[in-house]
Amino acid sequence: MVKAVECRDVWMVYRTFMEKDTVALRGVNLDVEDGIIFGLLGPNGAGKTTLISILATILIPTRGEVRVLGMDAFKNTRKVRERINISSGVRMPWGMKVYECLRFYAMCYGITGRKVVEDVISEFELEEHRNKRFDDLSTGNKQKANLARAFLNNPEVVFLDEPTANLDPDMAKKIREMILRIKEERDITIVLTTHNMKEAELLCDRIAFIKDGKIAAEGTSEELKRYTKMSERIILKVRGDVSRLSFPYPFRLDGNSLTVFVEDAEKALPSIVIKLAEQGINVESAKMEEITLEDVFIELAEGS
Amino acid sequence: MRTSLSSLQKVLSEILAFAYRNYALTKNEFYAIFEMLFWPMISLISVGLLGEFLYLEKDAVAFIIIGVITLSVIQIAQIDVTYVMLLDMWSMSLKYIIVTPTPFYRMVTGAWLFGSVRGLISLVLLILLSAWLFGFTLTLPLTAMAAFVLGILLSAMLIGIFNCILILVFGRRAEIFAWTLTAIVMLFCGIYYPVTILPEPFKTLGLLIPITHYLEFFRSFYGFQTVFPNPLAIAIVETITYLALLLVVAEISMLRARKTGLVLKLSD
Repeated sequence: MVKAVECRDVWMVYRTFMEKDTVALRGVNLDVEDGIIFGLLGPNGAGKTTLISILATILIPTRGEVRVLGMDAFKNTRKVRERINISSGVRMPWGMKVYECLRFYAMCYGITGRKVVEDVISEFELEEHRNKRFDDLSTGNKQKANLARAFLNNPEVVFLDEPTANLDPDMAKKIREMILRIKEERDITIVLTTHNMKEAELLCDRIAFIKDGKIAAEGTSEELKRYTKMSERIILKVRGDVSRLSFPYPFRLDGNSLTVFVEDAEKALPSIVIKLAEQGINVESAKMEEITLEDVFIELAEGS
Repeated sequence: MRTSLSSLQKVLSEILAFAYRNYALTKNEFYAIFEMLFWPMISLISVGLLGEFLYLEKDAVAFIIIGVITLSVIQIAQIDVTYVMLLDMWSMSLKYIIVTPTPFYRMVTGAWLFGSVRGLISLVLLILLSAWLFGFTLTLPLTAMAAFVLGILLSAMLIGIFNCILILVFGRRAEIFAWTLTAIVMLFCGIYYPVTILPEPFKTLGLLIPITHYLEFFRSFYGFQTVFPNPLAIAIVETITYLALLLVVAEISMLRARKTGLVLKLSD
C-alpha cells in the first residue's frame, strides 16, 4: 500500500549570504500511513515548520528523498501539489474579502465553478464572514478561512501547521472538532504540527517528536509514554530548600511542586518521602497519576 | 477531446486567477484606481504645460507627450505583474501560491492581462486628454498603434517579471524596485529625448531596451528620425528574447528561493 508521506535522510541547511548556515533538519526519516492523523511535536526551532514545508513542496531539502502519495515530491511537484494542501499561519492576500480569497485560490487549482467555494464556506461556517475583508476577521475566523482554503482542492493529504496556535480555548476546541469531522468525512491523511500535548493525544493516531532537526521518538501516544520507561508520576507539594535536591529518580521542579517519574508510584512513594525528609524537605501532599504525553515531550526536549 | 477541453479550462482558470485577484484588489482599494488615473493625468498636464511655456513646436510637444503616455501605461501595467510576488510578500502569504500547481508563467500572464486592461484605460484617457488640452493627434495607422500598445504592454510585463525575480532573490529589500525600476529604465530609453544624445555606454544600454525602439517607432509617424531603419522589428526581437530569458531566470530564482528558505521568510 502506498504511504501518504515518506522521508529518507532529509537534511535542510538554510544558507544566507554573509551569515552562518543554519542546519534545520538532520537526516529525518519518516513514514506516514494513509488515512491517519500524524502529529509532529517539538520545541520552538526544532524543525517542525521546515519539515512540514518540505513535505508540502514549498521548500526543497538540501539532501534526501521525499515521496508524497508515492510520487517523488520534487520530480512530480505539480502532480503532488494537485493532491495536497497546507494551512500554516493565518495569512491571506491583503485587501481581499473572504469569498474573493477562496475564489482566487480555487481558480489556482483549476476550479472554475463557484460551488466548491460555496461548499467550503458553509463547511467551515464562514457564511456571515464571506463578504468581510480577511484582515478584519478575528484570529479564529482567519484560521477557519485558512482551513477552508486548504480543503478547496479536495486534497488527499493536508498539512496543518499549528492549527490552533493563538486561539482561545473555545475556538481551539472548535477547530479540533472541525479537523476530526473533516478527516472522518473526507477520509484523508492529515499531518499536523502542534505544541499542545493534549491536542496531539486527542487528534493524532501517531506522533513524532522532533528535536534539533531529528526525530527523537515516534509512535502512538501510548507507545511514546512507554518510551520513557516510567509509566507513572507522583506530584508532591513540598516545603523546604529544594535547590540542592538529589534523587535516584527523574524529577521536575516547579516552585514548590515536585513531579517524580517512577515505574510504580505506590511502591516508590514511601522511599521518596524518606529521601526528601533526609534532605530537610517536608511533603504536604502527594498525588499519583499516569504519565502524560507532556512528560514525554519535556523529557525528550530536555534530552534527559 | 473532453480531456483536452478540461485541461484547457484548467489552464485558463489558473491564468485568470491572477487577473481576478488584481481585479478584486482594484475594486476594493481606492488607491488602485487613484494611481491609475491621478498620477498619469498630473504628469501629462504638467509636462504639456511646460511645453507650452517653452513655446515648443507641435512636433516637439507630441514627442514628449508620447513619452508621458508610454511611461504612465508601462508603470500601471508593470505593477500588476509585480503584484504576483509583491502582494503575497506584503500579506506574508507567498507559500500559499507556491503550493498551488499554477506555474509562474501563468501567474504573470493573468496579472498582465488585468494590468493591460488598466493600462489601456489610462492610455485612452491620456490620449483624449492630450488631444483636448494640447491638440495632440494620432497620426499613425490603427495596426501600427496596436503594435505599439502591445509592445509597451509586453515591455511592462518584462519589468514586472524582473521585479518578481528581484523579490525572489533579495526578498523584502527589493520592494523599492516595484516603483523605481520603470523610472530607471525610462531614463535610458529616451522618454523625453532621443537616445542618441546619451553618452556611451548609456546610449548602447538604451538601444538594448525594447521600449526605446517602440518609442522610436511611434515617433517616426510624427517625422522623427530613428536610429535603425525598422525599430518595430528590433523591439519585437528584443521583447521576445528578454521574455524567454526572464521566464527561465524566474523559474531558477523560484527554485533557489525554495532551496534557501527565502519563500518561508517571505511568508512568516
